[in-house]
Amino acid sequence: MIWHIIKKQGLLFWRNKQQLILLIALPIILIAILGAALGSGFDNESSPIKMKVAFIEQVEEQDQIEQFLTDLQEQVPSGVVDEIKSNIDMMAPITNIKAVLESEEVKEFLEITYMDPSEKSVIVDDESYTAIVEVPEGFSYDVLESMVFNNVISPTLLITYNEEQQVGTSIVSSFFTQFQEQLTLGTFLGEKGIDLSAIDYQEVNGEVISINEQKPVSASAYYTIGMTVMNVLFLAGAVGYYAYYEKEINVFNRIIMANISRWVYFSGVLASGTIFAFIQSLIIFGFSWLVYGIRFPDILDFLVVTVAYSFAIGGLAVLLSALNYRLNSETITNFFMNIIATLLAVLGGSFYPIGDFSSLFQTLGNMTPNGAGLTAYLTLLRGEGIAGISDNLMYLVIFALMTVVVAALCFPKRGVSA
Amino acid sequence: MIELVDLTKKFKQMYAVKNLNMFIERGEIVGLLGPNGAGKSTAISMLSSLVEPTSGDVRFENNSILKKPAPFRKVVGMVPQNIALYTDLTAEENLLFFGRIYRLHGKELERKVDEVLEQIGLTDRRKDVVKKFSGGMQRRLNIGVAMLHDPEVLIMDEPTVGIDPQSRNYILETVKRLNEDRNMTVLYTSHYMEEVEFLCDRIYIMDKGNLIASGTKDEIKQILSSEKTISITMERLNDEFVEVLKQNPQVNRVTTGEKEVTILVPRDANVFSEIIRLAESTGIELNSVDNKTPTLEDVFLHLTGRALRD
Ligand SMILES: Nc1ncnc2c1ncn2[C@@H]1O[C@H](COP(=O)(O)OP(=O)(O)O)[C@@H](O)[C@H]1O
Ligand SMILES: [Mg+2]
Repeated sequence: MIWHIIKKQGLLFWRNKQQLILLIALPIILIAILGAALGSGFDNESSPIKMKVAFIEQVEEQDQIEQFLTDLQEQVPSGVVDEIKSNIDMMAPITNIKAVLESEEVKEFLEITYMDPSEKSVIVDDESYTAIVEVPEGFSYDVLESMVFNNVISPTLLITYNEEQQVGTSIVSSFFTQFQEQLTLGTFLGEKGIDLSAIDYQEVNGEVISINEQKPVSASAYYTIGMTVMNVLFLAGAVGYYAYYEKEINVFNRIIMANISRWVYFSGVLASGTIFAFIQSLIIFGFSWLVYGIRFPDILDFLVVTVAYSFAIGGLAVLLSALNYRLNSETITNFFMNIIATLLAVLGGSFYPIGDFSSLFQTLGNMTPNGAGLTAYLTLLRGEGIAGISDNLMYLVIFALMTVVVAALCFPKRGVSA
Repeated sequence: MIELVDLTKKFKQMYAVKNLNMFIERGEIVGLLGPNGAGKSTAISMLSSLVEPTSGDVRFENNSILKKPAPFRKVVGMVPQNIALYTDLTAEENLLFFGRIYRLHGKELERKVDEVLEQIGLTDRRKDVVKKFSGGMQRRLNIGVAMLHDPEVLIMDEPTVGIDPQSRNYILETVKRLNEDRNMTVLYTSHYMEEVEFLCDRIYIMDKGNLIASGTKDEIKQILSSEKTISITMERLNDEFVEVLKQNPQVNRVTTGEKEVTILVPRDANVFSEIIRLAESTGIELNSVDNKTPTLEDVFLHLTGRALRD
């Protein structure tokens, strides 16, 4: 019976071309527009979000390394010095930072210009730069010393951000923050496979994401996800409208008169919302895969997120339907479609990665179903597995269950509340 | 077969239906007549277990349907007042969906859909979407959907509102045929007295939530036994004529049309010469003065002082 209700809903969507356009064509158009507005096209080899960063070194690293090795000979046995010497290339922090900055993945979104300290004042006035990275005097020396002697001093890179470029700033900032964390925690060395008995690693607290693993996400990919999770919200509203329409024109009464339990109908709405949200997502993602080449590293993980998100949408659809029935009007669905959905979309980061501004926004965003979906998809796209998004998945499932429970409590007896 | 006992529905302070008592026997066509807002739909909704009564009971084969509606729902076909169809789907798709809702499937479902399409005369339009149908065709399909599961009782809520006379006759004939050929029990609701008069064996008349008359057609018309109806037509009506008619002690009620006045007078009164005199004195050019056989409309007028339709 539930199957017939789903099939009928599918037929109604199919016959209602205008709705179909709103639910499927519109997000695809929005992806194109937003992607084009921010990126330099949809060539997914190069990231459309590109930030210019100036890099200023006060003193040549090589000088500092020599100074360090000279000083070292007075403090440790010559065997150890020799070993450090043979590995010094891998330990030199600036050389390594540069290697990372020059790597293909990073070059996709960071454009590095090396500058002389004397040029700094010119760069500061240049609006096109997102950030200026300054390596202070003695930085490499200090880093090496803290590595070998496990000192508590933490050498710091000076980074000046251009406040005008908020998104870029947050990206560059998190990039260097992670880099620096790894550097001071010694994991950088670990990554490079160096094992020196004299070096005592500090305990690594928390998760340190390796820079090379974290692929940047292109604007077209970001907006594919953003627009999909947003437009799937509208599907919940559409299903809510249909359900209310069925009550309005007495089709619901016909179903009740056929001795079909209202809970069967209720489940039919839930299942319709879930299944059609799933299909809608697949179509939009499928399109952006074919046209923009946006594809998820692991299809199974992708499907898990899509199912969880679709379930949350099904819950939302049945909640809206139940409220329509209870209040005997479609005002709630109107309100959801015109105001709440847009609010959720903004908060969830569909238009703009607002979570990058502050952790409060990030937390709030992840507490919207679409925001949780977006974060989950983005994380997958960056190459992480299911483990990295268990919180988001959990949230989506809990959200779905809660909406279903609330909807069941609201759903009026006999479907009439008069 | 079906019995309504002191059925009452109150919306806030207003009684939509008040102490309604009715019965329907197997094989009857029973009419429920009343103007808009009389409470017909509310009564029907309670009767078909879709709306809970404020008080009173509905009994089917001596069992209350309020507690156990399932056996009753199984044998009832409900034709709601509005078009309860998916207008984006075709006639056939609608019938298939509602048939499946009634747990029909496979060959049986196909056979039933074909049969119903034949009955409602839409076989050649089965593949067309309902929103392209005329009002009359939509009404017919609205009835067809209620007949898919071979109901013993058909409850029809104003099934002919707003359609062309041809479709209307088709529907009335179909109902009559179903009753004669299959002994289907019908409760027919309408505010058109001609329909009820044509179809029904017994009639209930409601107004403002109250039952104001009930019985067979003849019994109800007996209510008018002490009065007769006279219809006067003329070239052009004027207010003065209406006024003098109203003031005449023999005339009980006056209703006016465009070129027509209907009056109720005592059965034994001879008023023809009086009418002609009054017409002359007020400058009215008479076309005819007729003694009419009373209609249900007249009964309603007699009981309420208002016309059935506005
Ligand atoms: N759900 C409702 N809430 C409040 N009043 C209602 C409701 N349904 C019907 N009514 C009122 O009850 C009265 C009877 O309505 P209804 O049964 O539809 O009359 P009918 O079918 O004879 O035209 C009307 O005055 C109508 O406004
Ligand atoms: Mg009505």
